[in-house]
Parts: sequence; C-alpha cells; structure tokens
Amino acid sequence: MVQSMDIRRRILEITSVASAIIIWEITARIINKKYILPSFSEVGAAFLELVSEGELYRDTITSLNYFAIGMGAAIAVGIPLGIMMGWFKTFDKAVDPIIEIIRPIPPLAWITFAIMWFGLTKYAAGFVIFVGAVFPILVNTYTGFRNTPRVLVESGKVLGCIKNRDLIFRIALPAALPAIATGVRVGMGVGWMCVVAAELFAVSKYGLGWKIWFWNDLHHMDIVLTYMLVLGLIALVIDRLFRYIVQEWWLKWQTGVVV
Amino acid sequence: MIIQPLKILAAILITGIILVSGCTAPQEDEDEPTGLTELRFGYQPSTHQIAYMAADANGWWLEDLAPYGITSTEDKLFATGAPEMLAMLAGEIDVAYVGSTPPLSAIDQGLEAKIVAGAQTQGSDLVLANDLPYESPQDLIGLKIATFPPGTLQDTVLRKWLLDNDIDPKEDVTILGMGGAPAITALASGNVDAVFLPHPNPTVIESEGYARVVVQSGEMWPDHACCVVLVTQELIDEHPVIVEQIIRTHIKATRYIIDNPDEAAQIFSDDIGVPYNISSKSIQDWDGEWVSDPNIELATALEYAKVQYDLGYTDKLLTQDDLFDLSFYNKIIAEMDEE
Repeated sequence: MVQSMDIRRRILEITSVASAIIIWEITARIINKKYILPSFSEVGAAFLELVSEGELYRDTITSLNYFAIGMGAAIAVGIPLGIMMGWFKTFDKAVDPIIEIIRPIPPLAWITFAIMWFGLTKYAAGFVIFVGAVFPILVNTYTGFRNTPRVLVESGKVLGCIKNRDLIFRIALPAALPAIATGVRVGMGVGWMCVVAAELFAVSKYGLGWKIWFWNDLHHMDIVLTYMLVLGLIALVIDRLFRYIVQEWWLKWQTGVVV
Repeated sequence: MIIQPLKILAAILITGIILVSGCTAPQEDEDEPTGLTELRFGYQPSTHQIAYMAADANGWWLEDLAPYGITSTEDKLFATGAPEMLAMLAGEIDVAYVGSTPPLSAIDQGLEAKIVAGAQTQGSDLVLANDLPYESPQDLIGLKIATFPPGTLQDTVLRKWLLDNDIDPKEDVTILGMGGAPAITALASGNVDAVFLPHPNPTVIESEGYARVVVQSGEMWPDHACCVVLVTQELIDEHPVIVEQIIRTHIKATRYIIDNPDEAAQIFSDDIGVPYNISSKSIQDWDGEWVSDPNIELATALEYAKVQYDLGYTDKLLTQDDLFDLSFYNKIIAEMDEE
C-alpha cells in the first residue's frame, strides 16, 4: 500500500516536471526569440556542451568553495553569538542594537568593502555570502535559546547542573537545536543566493555566478539560463542533504516526539 | 429644417480645411510626421560619445526631428556597452551610442539593429600602477588587468593585442571585467595592477597620481574603430526619414565638437559631472578622433567580428550585411557634396 502511494507520488512529480518542460519548450518556440526565452532543448544543448568542456565542473567547484567559506564563517559567528545573546541578557542588550542596524543592509551593498578588506580573493566572495547567511543563523539560535522551556532549566538546576556552561551545553543547546537547524537551513538558502552577487566583481575566472554575468554580457541567454538552473539544482541538493543529516543525526532524538 | 444647411456648410468647411492643409503641407514625404513621437537614446559616460551630448545640450535632437513628429527624446546612461545592448534587446532604446563590439554578440543572438554612422576611433589607454615597471607587453605577464566586461571593445582590443604579443589572455594574465568606476577603485586599492579603459578614465586616474598611461589603444591597434551609432531595424524599416535626420544631426554635432573642443569639454563636464579641467585634459591627451563616417570603422569592425567569433563569443561569423547599413550615410554625404 505504502509502496504504491510512493510510486504514485513519483509519477505525479515526474508528470509535473515534464509538463513544465513541455510548456516551456512550446512557449519558447512560439516566442521564437532566444534572448527573450531560450527553449528547453537549447538550454539542454548548452548544458551538454558546458559539461563536455569541463567548464561546469570548474565553475561548480569554485562556487562551492566560496559558499563553504561564507557558510563556515556564518556558522562559526552566528551560533556562538546567538547563544550568548539568547542566554545572557546584558550581552543581548549591548549587542542587539548593533545587530539590528547591520542586519537590514543587503549583502550586495557590502561588495565594495569586501574588495577593500579582502582584495579580489575568494575570501571577499566568502564575506558577501557570510553577510547573507549569518543573520538567519544568529536570529534562530537566539530565538531557540530564548524559548528554552523554563521547566527544563529548573530541572537541570535541581539535578545539579548549576554552572552557566553546563546549563547551556546540556540543557539549552539540545532544546534549541531544531531552531538552530532551521536557521542554518534558511542561512544556506540566502547564502547560496548571495553566490551570484559575490561573484559579480570577478574574483576569479570561474564560478557559477561569474559565468551568469559573463554570458549575460555576451547576451547568450541559453547559457545564462543553464547556469541559473544549475544554481537552483545545487541549492536543492544541498538543502536535501542538510535535511537528511539533520533528521538522521542531529535531531534523531526527535523521532516520535512529533508526528 | 435649419440643420440640413448647417450640415452642408460644415461638410464644405471640413473638406476645405482638408484641401487647404493638403496644399500647405510639406511637398516632400520626408517632412511628414511618421507617427513616432518619442525617441529613446542610450549612451555612456565617455568623451567618446560627446557628439550625442552636444546635440542634446544644443537642443538639436528635438529641433531637427520636430518636423518628423518627434516631440520628446529620452536618454539612458549605461556604464558599459553590454547592459546598453541588453536594453536594446529588451526594446527600451531606439538609438545607441555604443562601442562597435557590444552590438556583435547582441546581433548574433537576435538583435535586429544596424550601425548607421561612426562616432569615434581609438581613445582608450592602458594605465599601469606607478610601482610596476613597463618596457614591453611582456611586463604585463602575471598581472591583474581590469577592463570593460567580455564582448566590449576594450576587452576585445586588449585580448587581441596580448595575443599579437604572444601573451595568452586566458593563462598569462588575469583580465577582470567591470565598469569604469569599480575598475578605478580596484586600481586605487591595489586589487588590480592595471586598467584598460576609455577616456576620460585614464586622465582621471593620472590626475589622482597613483598610475600612469603606458600604452594608448592606437598603438595596440592603429586607427581601430571604437564607438558607433546603432539604430533598431524597426526604426530603419518604419521611419527611414527619422534615421536619416538622426545621422544628419549626428554629423552636425560631430563637426561642432571637432571645431570646438573647449565647448565639447564643457558639455561633457556638465553632462557627466567630471570637472572641466579633467575633461579638457582628457580631450587633449587622448589619441581618439571623433568621426561620423561608418565606412572608416567598417574594416576593423569586421575584424572584431572575426576576433569575437574565434573567442567563441559569437556563434556565427558576422558579415558587413549583418552589422552595417551604409546607405543612409552615403546618401546624405552625396547630397551634401552636391550642395
């Protein structure tokens, strides 16, 4: 029974994607202007050429490198800062106004400073991604800590968990993990979107975002669309992978807590 | 009963007005309004395109085009030719003052437009940081050079010149595509070693004192074509008289700025906001020349088409028929010679 439902779901997914592709192909052929809407077959041909030349592989590796630098920094800064703000009220009051001023500034606005501070390097690209990703992680970590049930904290204290360090790591952190996981997931989405902005200023000759700008300047919209779709697909894979890791390891204890 | 004679009188009057207006209308079709009332221009913040700014500042676009029904003009300023061509592809501009290379990839990808007049030749410089030595192109190996994005004239000329000097533009140097202002910032902050940009950028950089001009684009590629006037095929097909007048006004403006370089510098300064002393010095120092004859730019434009095809920027090797419509200019010049 479950198996047949699974098959039905798969058929539905495949039909949905296939329908979208057919509508896209027909619409593009009706418009018949490659620069307005390249057809699926033109994008497919561009994709195969980029793969055969090895170009797509180099671009993907380059972008993932920037993403790893940006996300790594965002996690390293966002989670500890969120914990500190969520647990220590004085620290929260001191830091919160600064965070609230910086948070609304779009990552794109930081590009000039990224170049000035880090040069035309992968760290400059990583910085722009960091700016996009750090705040969702920080805010969710903060919220997770603020919402730690008081009963858990009191129980911990009764059972001899007195020190702040013990309360944070043994009580509040496990309770806040679902919120932190959500923050990292949202941060990854924003960070991946920032890859295109981060590569706007040509830190290297490769990268998915850089190639979007490059081919955009040459008006090859079939290649631009190919890179856009590759960006989307990689984001999807990263998200699925993260969800799997979180559900299978990070939050395995939650299995059965909720339906 | 009175209504009937009134109707007859009104009919006679209307017929009379139509006949009279027919008699007093311009004799030549060329002077009749074409149905188009607004023209949209695209240009860039460069001394290369002062002809557009001069015609605009002197009110010539509206004055000269008014007999053909044009009541307003609009212009859009673009950092480089690439976004300007995207705007033309999107149907946002009718006439573009642009380098002769950005139209290549756009036309290759389906833009229906033609070069109908020249605007200027040469006029870009390679500017190198003061602390770096320069004796020959070989000194550039290993350096980071910022220039306009792929497919622009500067990108094409620079790459060809490097290749001509046995330097692989993909492996031996790092060429970074960006607009003029970001390129200057990158040079000032030491993030790139050199820039190759159109005027007045080289003069702006030299005036700051942290870099100097080492090669002018005329040395890289003597008499190379630079900016042109590009109009949409729709304008050519549906409003040829307007295209003809655009070229006439452009010729007038080009002659004006050649004869009056100080006024040209002032017009540029007022339009773009560059100080007068910088724009004036730029016009004195550059190796560029304002022209209006597209025939002068034809040969190198076709060479650019070959370079871009070899670089893989265009899918097909574009020909003169794909890129140029010389008929308007040649007709105007023949008429001017007769006069």
